[in-house]
Amino acid sequence: MAAPCGRMATKSLSHVLSVFGRTAAGNAACRHFSVASVCRATPQSKIAAESGSSSWTLMAAVCLQRLPVVSADFSPVEERFKQMLLQMELEKSLLSDHELRLLDDADRIRRKQTDDYDSDEEGAHGDQEIMLGQDLEDTWEQKLKSFQPAPRVQPEVDKDLTSAKRCLADSLVLLAEQRVGGEKLWLLPQAQWQEGETLRQTAERALASLPAAGFKATFLGNAPCGVYKYKLPKAVRTESSTGCKVFFFKAIVADDGQPKAPAGPFLWLKKSELQRYLKPAYRMKVERFILAL
Amino acid sequence: MNPVLRKIQVCVLSQALTSCRPSPPVHHAGRPNERLHRSMPTHSIGRWRNLLPKQAPKKKKEKQQMKQILANTSTAHGTLNVNVSGHDMTLVEHYSQYVHNLCNRLGIKVADSYALPTKSMEVMLMQEQGTKTYVDAVLKTHQRVVQLSSLNAALSPIFMDVLLRNQPEGVQLCVKEHTEADFQARFKARPELEGLMSQMNH
Repeated sequence: MAAPCGRMATKSLSHVLSVFGRTAAGNAACRHFSVASVCRATPQSKIAAESGSSSWTLMAAVCLQRLPVVSADFSPVEERFKQMLLQMELEKSLLSDHELRLLDDADRIRRKQTDDYDSDEEGAHGDQEIMLGQDLEDTWEQKLKSFQPAPRVQPEVDKDLTSAKRCLADSLVLLAEQRVGGEKLWLLPQAQWQEGETLRQTAERALASLPAAGFKATFLGNAPCGVYKYKLPKAVRTESSTGCKVFFFKAIVADDGQPKAPAGPFLWLKKSELQRYLKPAYRMKVERFILAL
Repeated sequence: MNPVLRKIQVCVLSQALTSCRPSPPVHHAGRPNERLHRSMPTHSIGRWRNLLPKQAPKKKKEKQQMKQILANTSTAHGTLNVNVSGHDMTLVEHYSQYVHNLCNRLGIKVADSYALPTKSMEVMLMQEQGTKTYVDAVLKTHQRVVQLSSLNAALSPIFMDVLLRNQPEGVQLCVKEHTEADFQARFKARPELEGLMSQMNH
């Protein structure tokens, strides 16, 4: 399951007038992982002053992902194989301490039943006589019955496209409806690049500027994972703006467990559902870097 | 080498001159106790340890701190520690093996791959009747570390994404910079040595 490196369509970053600044971000995501990035002395602004640079507008978009919370269900073949392996391991295994103890207790009880039983012959089993192995098992059974695990699949939540808790076994991507060139489109949240900030900061700004969402995210690195460029229709094209290049950055949502009311036009979609909402050319570029493992 | 050859030649020549017998003499006349093997013509045939290159004696202390500081477009991270920890040892080990194999396939150089000592935690619960606590369970935390010597900055988001997607339940993943303190933490403390050192310093 190695991700092929060729999928990543990055442009050489010297084209982009960006600066690599690293901030120490040690957030704990909803899944237990943490990344501590290096805080090095950033070589400040190597921005070459090119006034009439390129006629392409630069934008950065964030591909915010909610990773699977629960492992996916097994396919029938996998299920049978798993059962077979468990059976083999059980047959090859040795007796555990608890099982030995059960056998010991049963043995002792049997010996107690005989008439010529002398309890002094037994070793010092003070505590163990009080609590038999069987009693321990009974208490454990009781505890297990009182434990209620959360349901793995909730069909009602799955149908609600705006909830971040749908489809716990799959990874979801956030889509927002934004106004681009006069029409509202569903796309990954993006913002325009401004002078003096890195593209990653632009992507962070794009995420923060989403109305009333307040998603906390951990960005997975300074390098973009994909690019999409489009030319403006000839009617709108001017000297200074031929089109637009959008750089995508990956981020993982850091969930603190509280269900927030989804305000604004957001959708959490699986990779297979993107087809209905994204434009075809855009979708082709975006799907290249969204891993569906 | 040459003195040996010369010695043999000399012996052979002298023997050829003195006696025509091919078998070596059993003892010289007049010196019955002399050890003869060093002057035998076959002495030091088969000697090979003198031919090996000289090896420096091995040092015990490990060298580390293989850190790169590149500040170009192809910036790379320095030495990174991917720390996999959890309670279920099979999951932790298999996941760390998966990380190692993934690095090999992606061409990321793995500097080191080691395990940290297992920590046992005893979960003690209060008894329902009474104030004594009793041992309910023993939880063991296993840790495995895969140390990467350098990770390309362009590759790191993909690498992290793949790792996170394949992370099993019950396993925690932590990616950190490698520090001297991390390295020293693996060694056991030597109280006698420290006592002697402090006595020396006083």
